[in-house]
Amino acid sequence: MKQRIASLILFIFGVLTPYSYGIQRFPKPEFETGYVQPQTSMPSARLEFLAYLDVAVLVLALSIVSWMVLKKRSRTGVFWISMFSLAYFGFYREGCVCSIGSIQNVSLAIFDLSYAIPISVLAFFLIPLIYTLFFGRTFCAAVCPFGAMQDLVAFKPQPIGIRLNTILGILPYLYLGLSVLYAATGTDFIICRYDPFVGIFRLNASFGMFVFAGILLASGVFIARPYCRFLCPYGVILNWFSRFSRRHMSITPSNCIQCRLCENSCPYDAIDIPVQSKDPESKQARVKKLILISLIMPLMIVAGAYAGLILHEPLAGIHSKVKLAKQVLNPPKDTKLADTFEMQAFKSSGKPQAQVYQEALLVLNKYKQASMILGGFLGLVFSLLIAGRMLKKYNPDYTPNKGRCFSCGRCMDFCPIKPGS
Amino acid sequence: MKMFNPSHTTIRILERIALTAGLFAFVLCILIMVNYYQLRRSDPLNTPGIKILVERLNSNPEDEQLKQQIRELDLLARKAFFTNRWQIKTGGYLLIFTIFVLVSSLKTIELIKPRLPVLPSDEKETFWNNRLLNRKWLSYSGIGLLVFALVFAFLSYRQLGKTLELSATNPAAAKGENTESVSPTANQTGAVSDSSSVSDTASATATAAWASWDELKQNFPGFRGPGGNGIAFQKNIPVQWDGKSGKNIKWKTAVPLTGYNSPVVWREKVFLSGANNSKREVYCYNALDGKLLWTTAIEKIPGSPAASPKVNSETGQAAPTVATNGNLVFAIFANGDIAALSMDGKISWSKNLGLPKNHYGHSSSLLVYQDLVIVQFDQSGNAAVLGLNSTNGEIAWKTSRDVKVSWSSPILVNTGSRFELILVAEPYMISYNPKTGKELWRIESISGEVGPSAAYADGIAYSVNDYSKLAAIKVGSNPTQLWESDEYLSDIPSPLATSSYLFLPTSYGTFVCYDAKDGTKYWEKELGSPTYASPVLVDGKVYQLDKKGVMHIIRPDKVFASIGEPQLGEGSVCTPAFSDGHIFIRGDRNLYCIGK
Repeated sequence: MKQRIASLILFIFGVLTPYSYGIQRFPKPEFETGYVQPQTSMPSARLEFLAYLDVAVLVLALSIVSWMVLKKRSRTGVFWISMFSLAYFGFYREGCVCSIGSIQNVSLAIFDLSYAIPISVLAFFLIPLIYTLFFGRTFCAAVCPFGAMQDLVAFKPQPIGIRLNTILGILPYLYLGLSVLYAATGTDFIICRYDPFVGIFRLNASFGMFVFAGILLASGVFIARPYCRFLCPYGVILNWFSRFSRRHMSITPSNCIQCRLCENSCPYDAIDIPVQSKDPESKQARVKKLILISLIMPLMIVAGAYAGLILHEPLAGIHSKVKLAKQVLNPPKDTKLADTFEMQAFKSSGKPQAQVYQEALLVLNKYKQASMILGGFLGLVFSLLIAGRMLKKYNPDYTPNKGRCFSCGRCMDFCPIKPGS
Repeated sequence: MKMFNPSHTTIRILERIALTAGLFAFVLCILIMVNYYQLRRSDPLNTPGIKILVERLNSNPEDEQLKQQIRELDLLARKAFFTNRWQIKTGGYLLIFTIFVLVSSLKTIELIKPRLPVLPSDEKETFWNNRLLNRKWLSYSGIGLLVFALVFAFLSYRQLGKTLELSATNPAAAKGENTESVSPTANQTGAVSDSSSVSDTASATATAAWASWDELKQNFPGFRGPGGNGIAFQKNIPVQWDGKSGKNIKWKTAVPLTGYNSPVVWREKVFLSGANNSKREVYCYNALDGKLLWTTAIEKIPGSPAASPKVNSETGQAAPTVATNGNLVFAIFANGDIAALSMDGKISWSKNLGLPKNHYGHSSSLLVYQDLVIVQFDQSGNAAVLGLNSTNGEIAWKTSRDVKVSWSSPILVNTGSRFELILVAEPYMISYNPKTGKELWRIESISGEVGPSAAYADGIAYSVNDYSKLAAIKVGSNPTQLWESDEYLSDIPSPLATSSYLFLPTSYGTFVCYDAKDGTKYWEKELGSPTYASPVLVDGKVYQLDKKGVMHIIRPDKVFASIGEPQLGEGSVCTPAFSDGHIFIRGDRNLYCIGK
């Protein structure tokens, strides 16, 4: 019977494939007339209380997930909440408002006092951080729709090797720095602009973004949660907060018996294995290295700041005022390329060129400082990451890495010790 | 006998469903991409077939069958376009559904057949190696990022900041030029608006090297502001100050040589000229602190007369106000010397136009228009108006004028269809094409020794002179006089026009307001002192300075309403200049900056 059902579904798909394309490929010409223009209508604004409803749903979802992870230790429960989040925050709310993007609103609000950040956006930024401080990254586990979508397709996760992991692990810091830079300078909200999943939620995006989303999801089958691990800027902040989490999930509900069954259970390489063997490096050598890194640290910050300084012009290149000034200064020879909307608006505004240049100069000056801070921040990140890998580590049991662990609960199922046993 | 295993069978079914859904999703993806590619290439509004038919229709416009054919083809092209879009959207929904089936199947398989733990190989030995590798690759990444930043910075090095700085401070040297579109008119409330849609085609040329109208508007580039029409565009102009107590006097500085010319402002520089019988000088002050930035003597000019001409004491040797286009400053003196100076005081070119035969002394101010400096050179017997090339001083055009000697200055207006240069001197008001000097129209409207310049607003130009009349002229190819009055007349200060009002100051101290359209007198006000300076409409208020240095600030209205009468504490015969938040007044001895 089941085989028949499978064959029927196979038949339906097989028939639909050419039909769905062919029937619309050559539509019959229709020459009917009498088309009546529809009246222009403006969609009404979303009711204000719904924004608070979103916050309430966020709090509720976070509470339930935290309970599921820490008390119930239920991976299944986490999975179904992630499906709810995907449906609500993803497809119903179309990916907006989102905690990841809220970084930009907060940055802009800090650096531009004329910008009033909506309370709901601030709540979406702060509430997951507060929960993380107490319970670890339960937001990533099942409340973030981006994470939920990627988690759904992580069927065959493979380890990607320490080299690639290290190199790609730098990207979120870079992305965080850039998104704060561009938001703080009022340039752009790049997290939203280059959000790969929002196009899926809305079924509306540029072709390039659809391809990007497709690549991420396809690679997500083998490299679990690629966006969360190697791009998400909010993940960087959650990582920092989670390290200080008061009650983080544990793999075992009791004492670890070191059976090693959970060792390869995490698709995100977020389990710290016990270190019992002696560090092959002598204490003296490690102390030397630490002294060296503490000396190099300021140098790395300065080098980063210098790199930021020399890159401030290219970085500022995407600011609308700088872009316009460049176009005015060197209009493209191709008249089609030269006739951009921005140029048309500039011409019709009657604004003098000198003013355009002055405005662009102000932006460039702002970028000089901001780019230096970005570079310095990256220098600091590198030096701290390297220093962190020099510290002696005491880790007697298999434990989730508090910073990297998404609290998805997969590893719990691999532990032979059950609560109460 | 083989045992029936339900889990095993379910898994097989689910695997087949997943495989089918996966294949279907893959095919759908390909089809959607093909459709997307087609959609990007299609342009229903520019279909080649329709274009050919339209060309055929152009040669045979009455062919109804062809028209119908075009309509049908057009409809087809549009339908194809929107159908394509529909296909992509529907395909998207179908794809999501398919992926949902695929994921559901695979997840169910996972549920039925959970992943079993696999004992790993002994990794403990590699922990320290991993940490070492980690450090190493972090260092490589950091160095790589730094090298990438340096290489990228090197490859993208364009000195954008320096180029912008240079272009911002020297806009005339910038490569492009924004479209100029307007001439200033003032509405009923006195707010200045640019209502004309006429563009200055010459200035729209992408390679022009002159200040745009908007740049002129942002500054105060000549006598009575941009265009010389008494209308300025600055904001937040002070209404209270007191020269004696120093209230709101930002700075005050002595001017070396006398001159009855008015200050001119370009960004943070204020320009003046001064002269006596032996010296002629141009001054540049820092608008921020009043510091004299440079003084340039205009001397040793070939053809310059050995001795300065005899002039009336109330005219002096430096009555004409200088003009600037932001790149050069132009100054002319009573002996006919004219010079162009760079913004840092270096003489770019200079020449002598010939000693003006002018019994009071030449006093017509200069005017800049695009790449030209306009000189109204009305003298006894050989009057002319000249357009000098601003970059080298060569005569671009010269038009003789059959008028008497005058002391008025040219004004530049946009009449809605073109820019016109309007000059007044007995007996005519004459309009010229400022680009070529060609006369556009003329009308007899004035007589006597004409001192006041013309005023213009909303298609009406006004001329006035003492012992003559005040005349309102409807401009155009056939100019007509709309109204006239001889009750109040001016021999020195110029009138000020808005679309609703005409303000007329008189040198004996009466300030009169007329209806601009029909000449109805709304009000008159005794200022209490003679007035030589001309009024300026700025920030919605009329600023009229009298000879005692009292500024009469008046609301442009049918009923007289004084906003204030702040005193400079020093006499003045010069018209004030403005920058945002500031007024610059040349007193009898000092230059003042008023502002907070």
